[in-house]
Amino acid sequence: MFVQLLRKSILRRKSRFAMGVASVLIGAAVVTALLTVSLGVGDQVGQEFSKYGADLMLQPQSNTIQVGLPGVTIGSVTEQKYINESDLWMIKTIPHRANVLGFAPFLYQVVTVGNGSNAQQAVLAGTYFNKTVQILQPASPQDPTVFSTGIEDISSWWKVTGNWITDQNDTTSAMIGTNVAQKLNLTVGDAFNVSYTGTQNGTTATNVKELKVVGIVETGGAEDNQIFVNLPVAQDLSSRPSKVDTVQVSALCTRCPVADMASEIQGKIPGVQGTTITQLTNAETGTLNKYQSMMGLVTAVALLASTMGIFTTMTANVADRRREIGLMKSIGAENRSIASLFLAEAAITGLLGGVAGFGVGVVLAQFIGLSVFSTTIAPSWEVLAVAIPIAIGVSLLASAIPVRRATAVEPAVVLRGE
Amino acid sequence: MEDALISLEKITKLYSGETRALNEVTLSFEKDEWTTIMGPSGSGKTTLLNIIGCLDLPTSGIVRIAGKEVTGVGQAALTRLRRENVGLIFQQHHLIPYLTALENVMLAQYYHGSPDETKAVAALKNVGLEHRLDHPPAHLSGGEQQRVCIARALVNEPPILLADEPTGNLDQTNGHVVLQLIQRLHEEGRAIVLVTHNPDISGLGDRTIRIVDGSVEQDFRSGGGDRNGE
Repeated sequence: MFVQLLRKSILRRKSRFAMGVASVLIGAAVVTALLTVSLGVGDQVGQEFSKYGADLMLQPQSNTIQVGLPGVTIGSVTEQKYINESDLWMIKTIPHRANVLGFAPFLYQVVTVGNGSNAQQAVLAGTYFNKTVQILQPASPQDPTVFSTGIEDISSWWKVTGNWITDQNDTTSAMIGTNVAQKLNLTVGDAFNVSYTGTQNGTTATNVKELKVVGIVETGGAEDNQIFVNLPVAQDLSSRPSKVDTVQVSALCTRCPVADMASEIQGKIPGVQGTTITQLTNAETGTLNKYQSMMGLVTAVALLASTMGIFTTMTANVADRRREIGLMKSIGAENRSIASLFLAEAAITGLLGGVAGFGVGVVLAQFIGLSVFSTTIAPSWEVLAVAIPIAIGVSLLASAIPVRRATAVEPAVVLRGE
Repeated sequence: MEDALISLEKITKLYSGETRALNEVTLSFEKDEWTTIMGPSGSGKTTLLNIIGCLDLPTSGIVRIAGKEVTGVGQAALTRLRRENVGLIFQQHHLIPYLTALENVMLAQYYHGSPDETKAVAALKNVGLEHRLDHPPAHLSGGEQQRVCIARALVNEPPILLADEPTGNLDQTNGHVVLQLIQRLHEEGRAIVLVTHNPDISGLGDRTIRIVDGSVEQDFRSGGGDRNGE
C-alpha cells in the first residue's frame, strides 16, 4: 500500500516531482563533474605543471676548502664530487615514492664539435631518455622492481624536431639544441664528431665520438645550447664511469610537500643534497590549491542551490497536500507514516536526481577535461558512490522543514476547510 | 455515565484563546445509540464531533472513549484511539484523488495495520460499489464518493461512526441511499453520532441533541423525554 501510495502521489505531481529531480540534478552534476575532474585530473594537473621542469634538483654535497696564507684567505677550491649512478634507484624507495613522477641524471662536459676552423665548443649532457631502472630493494613488497624514467618523462614539454632517443643502449644517437644545430648547420640525420680532452692520472687524452642527430631540441633555455646523449656515452667520453653531476626529479606533488621529499632522498642517498625548485613548487601548489578551493566553492554553491530548489518544491508539495495529510491523519496515520511518505519521495527525488546528475556530470567533466586539460576523463564509480548519497542527503536535508510542517498539520483544522 | 461508550464532562473549547466554541458541555453516548446533533451554523456541532472523534482536544474538561481518558494523552495515542474506535464520514467525502475506490478503503486498513483486500472489497460491496472498485473518485458520482467514504469508515469495524453532514452535498436520492446505509450500520450495533442541519434526519435517530452557542440547549430521545440537565 505504501509503495502504491508513493508511486501514485509522485505520478500525480509529475511536473513538480520533475522540478525536484532537476534541482538535485544540478547539484549532483556539479559535484560529479568536479569530483571526476579532481580525481582524474588532479594528478594530471600536477603532470601539467611538471611539464615546465623538475621540482627537485639533487646535487653532490661539495666540500669547499678555503686556501691562502695563515690569516689571509685568497680563495677557495671546491672538490669535484659526483653522485653515483648506482644509487639512483633509491629515489623510488623514499616514503613519498609514489609522488616521484620521474627523474633524470645529468653528466655535463664541454666538448669540441667539428674539426678545424669549424670547430665549436658545446656542452654535452649525458642523461636517461627512456631508462629502465632496477629497484634493487623495493621499500615494500608490493612495489615494482623496475621503474621506467628519463628526460622524456620530466621534460615532456620540450619541442623536438625529429625523434627522441628511445633505446637506452643507443650509443651513437644525439639530440642537439636548436642553437647548436644552427651554429654547426646540422639537421636530423646528420653525423658529427665530438671530442673531449681531459687529464687523468697526469696524462692528457682526447676521446672522439661520432654521433648522429636524431632530434633537435627547442626549449628557449639552456638546453638549446646543449647536446644530449645517453648517459654511458658521456661517461665513456670523459672517462667518468657510473658518475652523474646532478639529478632532476619531477614530483607529482598535489598532495605532498616537495621539501619532505628532498629530505627523504638526502636520508636515503648519502652525500646528496636535495634542493626544491621553490618558485615552481609554490606556484604549482598555489595554483592547485586555488583550483581545489574554487571547485569546493562551486560545489557548495551548487549544493545550496539544489537544497533551496528541493526545499521550495517540498514546501509547495506539503502546502498543496494539507487536506490529504489531514485526511490521512483523521483515518489513523501517525506522524511517522506521514513523514515516511514525504521522506521516501524526497529520497527517490534525490536518487533519480543523483543518477541523472551523475550522467550529466560525467559529460561536463569530459568537457572540462578536453577544454582545460586537453584530455578525456574516465567516469569513476567512486564518484557515483559519493554523488548518489550526497544527492539523497541533500534532498532529505532540504525536506526536513517541509516534512515537519506536514506532521504538524492538524486533521480537524484541515477537514474544516481552513 | 461510567459505562458509556463516549463520555464528555464539562468540555470547553476555546479557539485563539477567546472564541468559545463549546461551553462546559457534559454528554454521554451509549453503545448502539444513534444520536443526531443539530444546531445553527457556528453553534459548535462540528467542534463537538471533532472532540468525540479524537481529531481535536478540548481546552478543558474530560473526554473518555470506551472508558479510556483521551484528554492529556499524546498525539500518537490520540491517533491510535481514533484509529481503533472511530470511523469518520465527511460532508466533502475527503477521498484521496489519485487512489481508486478500493485503495481509498485499503488506506484506512493500512494505517490500522491490517490491510486485507478481501475485506475492503466486501466493505465496498456492502455499500453497493462492487462494480466501482478500480475507479478513482473523479469517475464516481457524489453519492458514490460518499459511499466509498462510508466503506472506508466501517472497514476497520470501529464501534463509533461519526458523520458530519453526510448528505449535505447529495441530491435527495443519493442522500436517501446514504441514510439507509447509516441506518443499517446502526442496526448492526454501531453507535452513530451524526451532525446535520436537516430536521428530517433527526427523526431517524434515537436521540437528538440541539447545540446553541456552544451549549446543549436540548437533548431528547425519540418518543422519550428531554435529557437536558441529566
